[in-house]
Amino acid sequence: MKKTILNMKEIKKEFSGIYALSGITFDLYEGEIHCLVGENGAGKSTLMKVLSGAYSPSEGTMALAGKEYAALTPAMSKALGIAIVYQENDLVPSMDVVENIYVGNEKGSLFPDFKLMLDETKKQIGELGIFINPLEKIENLPVSDQQFVKILKALSVKPNILIMDEPTSMFNVQDSAKVLDLVKRISEMGISIIYISHYLNEVVQIADRITVIRDGMVINTYDNKNKDIPISIITKDMVGRSVDMFYNKEKHAIGEIMLEVKHLQLSSNSPVIDFSVRKGEILGFSGMVGSGRTEIVRAITGADRRYAGDIFIHGKQVKINTPKQSIEEGFAHITEDRQLLGLMLSVSVLENTTIVGMRNKIKGFFVNIKKHPRLVENIIKKLKIKMPSIWTEAIYLSGGNQQKVVLAKWIFAEQDIYIFDEPTRGIDINAKEEFYKQMTELTKQGKCIIMISSDMPELISMSDRVLIIRDGAIDSELIGEKIKEQEIIERALGVHHL
Amino acid sequence: MKTKKHLLKDQRVLLAIVIVTIVATVTAINPKFIAITNLITIFQQISVIGILTMAMGLLLISGGIDLSIGNIMVLSGVVMARIIESRDVINEGTLLLVIGAGVATGIICGFLNGIVIAKSKCIPLIITLGTSQMFYGLALTISGGRIMSFKGVFDALGKTKLFSFFPVMLFVLLGMALLSFIILNYTKFGRRIVAIGGNEKNAYLSGIPIVKYKVTIYGIAGAFCAIAAIIFSSRIDSITANAGSGYETNALTAAIIGGITFEGGKGTISGAFLGCMLIGIISNAMNILQVQSYVQTVITGAIIVCAVVLSNISNIKKTL
Repeated sequence: MKKTILNMKEIKKEFSGIYALSGITFDLYEGEIHCLVGENGAGKSTLMKVLSGAYSPSEGTMALAGKEYAALTPAMSKALGIAIVYQENDLVPSMDVVENIYVGNEKGSLFPDFKLMLDETKKQIGELGIFINPLEKIENLPVSDQQFVKILKALSVKPNILIMDEPTSMFNVQDSAKVLDLVKRISEMGISIIYISHYLNEVVQIADRITVIRDGMVINTYDNKNKDIPISIITKDMVGRSVDMFYNKEKHAIGEIMLEVKHLQLSSNSPVIDFSVRKGEILGFSGMVGSGRTEIVRAITGADRRYAGDIFIHGKQVKINTPKQSIEEGFAHITEDRQLLGLMLSVSVLENTTIVGMRNKIKGFFVNIKKHPRLVENIIKKLKIKMPSIWTEAIYLSGGNQQKVVLAKWIFAEQDIYIFDEPTRGIDINAKEEFYKQMTELTKQGKCIIMISSDMPELISMSDRVLIIRDGAIDSELIGEKIKEQEIIERALGVHHL
Repeated sequence: MKTKKHLLKDQRVLLAIVIVTIVATVTAINPKFIAITNLITIFQQISVIGILTMAMGLLLISGGIDLSIGNIMVLSGVVMARIIESRDVINEGTLLLVIGAGVATGIICGFLNGIVIAKSKCIPLIITLGTSQMFYGLALTISGGRIMSFKGVFDALGKTKLFSFFPVMLFVLLGMALLSFIILNYTKFGRRIVAIGGNEKNAYLSGIPIVKYKVTIYGIAGAFCAIAAIIFSSRIDSITANAGSGYETNALTAAIIGGITFEGGKGTISGAFLGCMLIGIISNAMNILQVQSYVQTVITGAIIVCAVVLSNISNIKKTL
């Protein structure tokens, strides 16, 4: 029997009424590679943030090094020997490898002992059998080597638990193999590894155990000693929700082709994309995070530049190179990140709502904003936006209500083609249903919708058709009855018919 | 939300309280302070800085900043003085030419700032530090480093009084404040400027032509500087190339005291106006109380620090 070094019991985490984790029990043996898998938003990253001390859990306990904790702080977590390799790049490009590894944690007293740090780094590089010049600047290293530096940095504090969140997501096959090799060698040194990845082939190759998480709960933990757990079993666990989690969309007729995208290419060597959307249709875009869904729609609305591609509306070619042009052609783009891209937080709800529609719905050069509440009050009422007053700054609203303000803005502008990028992420079930109702309403009015979503029940209940995006290309299309969880997830992961 | 809490949150209320307190205290010591003639003097003293504060306020709200406004003012002034010097007779036609050339200079300088900032996406603080040097150098070149006279051309503006009491200058300041207020609050342009300051990415995705709007707002600020130059010359009747130093920081301070932030998207013209008044009242009060001028500088600085810290109290708690 192996020694258990971490035991998380019944961990729950609530964000303003929504449970991201609803009672997760998870343990880790000494020196094992324990893989965590699940869809986008299943709760993997949240669980790791609880462990690293970034979040304190609402309920539950963690047993670590013979003691029980209700919550950890980042400093405690570090002291207990937990280290993380983050998904995003947190290295300083202008500093060399050694400096990056020890930044904030320098050896020596008043003056950093550069020689000691260099020797330690060289020793570590040797132990792990990798080839990196410790004095090279980060900006001169290829991405894969930068990933190694991130791992070295995490290891420099001599942890006993190493958390790796999607360490291979930006790599090609060869580089991924190098990272996987390294992971195995680290575990052989007696360090336990929690490995998060949506590359199930990799997971099955390296994991000693695999835990599947769905909707903030552990579905199953598999022993993978012989590296032989079938991928289909894992994907079945990742999906398989009960019927009551799906929204019952009102059906209505779908009309002629409204939007056509032809030969779209984001860069000179990226795949060619063609698709169309019909009047009254909701076209779902599915894919794992990083598959390129958002980039595709941003290229269409002119938010980003595209390398090639023509856009046709009602069969007529239109010129769209900037968001301004796309709005003039009738696009509405409800962006992924409402705080960063969708709202002016320091500005009132009213003005957030009228900012786009000011173009076509409010005439003249002069405006009198005191008269504007009248223009938008119906929309605000229809969307049931809860706020102290229409003059309240957007920052004081809850996430769900903020998101509704973003929608109100585009409904007020009365556009024809609505693009929703993760429309209901992080908002409660009531606000979600309100969104679904409004989306149905829009399609009934003869508008069309492209919806990017990682929320499976949402994608399946709302879409008339789903395109699965993988590695920046359209992998496949599912229509009507064929839109099923397992069908989607297997295609999105690239393990269909494996 | 309770009204009381809401009111105290508004920096303008806080400022008004501070102003009233200072006025009451100083009046208690020296009743001359509250005399209407002295109040008018205060407005005259802040007329130049007031107009520059309006320009700075508009820029800050749009998420920008312009540290060259002092030197734009001087360059406009020097251009105007140069034309005046070159003419023997000054008639209405020349006057129009002088004013036109001054305003055009201001607008061109503003456009230059705006184009470089909007196109290069560099930090406006640094860009305008650079252009400020350019404008200063141009003013030096044109003036030859001399004191240039306006030959009393704008004297009429400085001396004319409405109802034989209120100087016209006062109305120019109030007019510019009102104009800024209308631009910001009652035009689509103004509201979109706030949107750009509030979240530039969102403004871009909302179809607002960022470059065009930024260039325009810097141009407007430039025009304001030119008008400040006219007021300046009507008071002093002469100008030198280094007359503008310190004006940009004073305008910046007044705007910040008035509740406008560096982050943009926030703040009011009335607040900036009050901020400017506070500065004017403090320096006038110290004169009346016969505070030694070196000490005055120390006190002014201290009061500015206090005002800015006070206005940021709600933010201190928010951090992390």
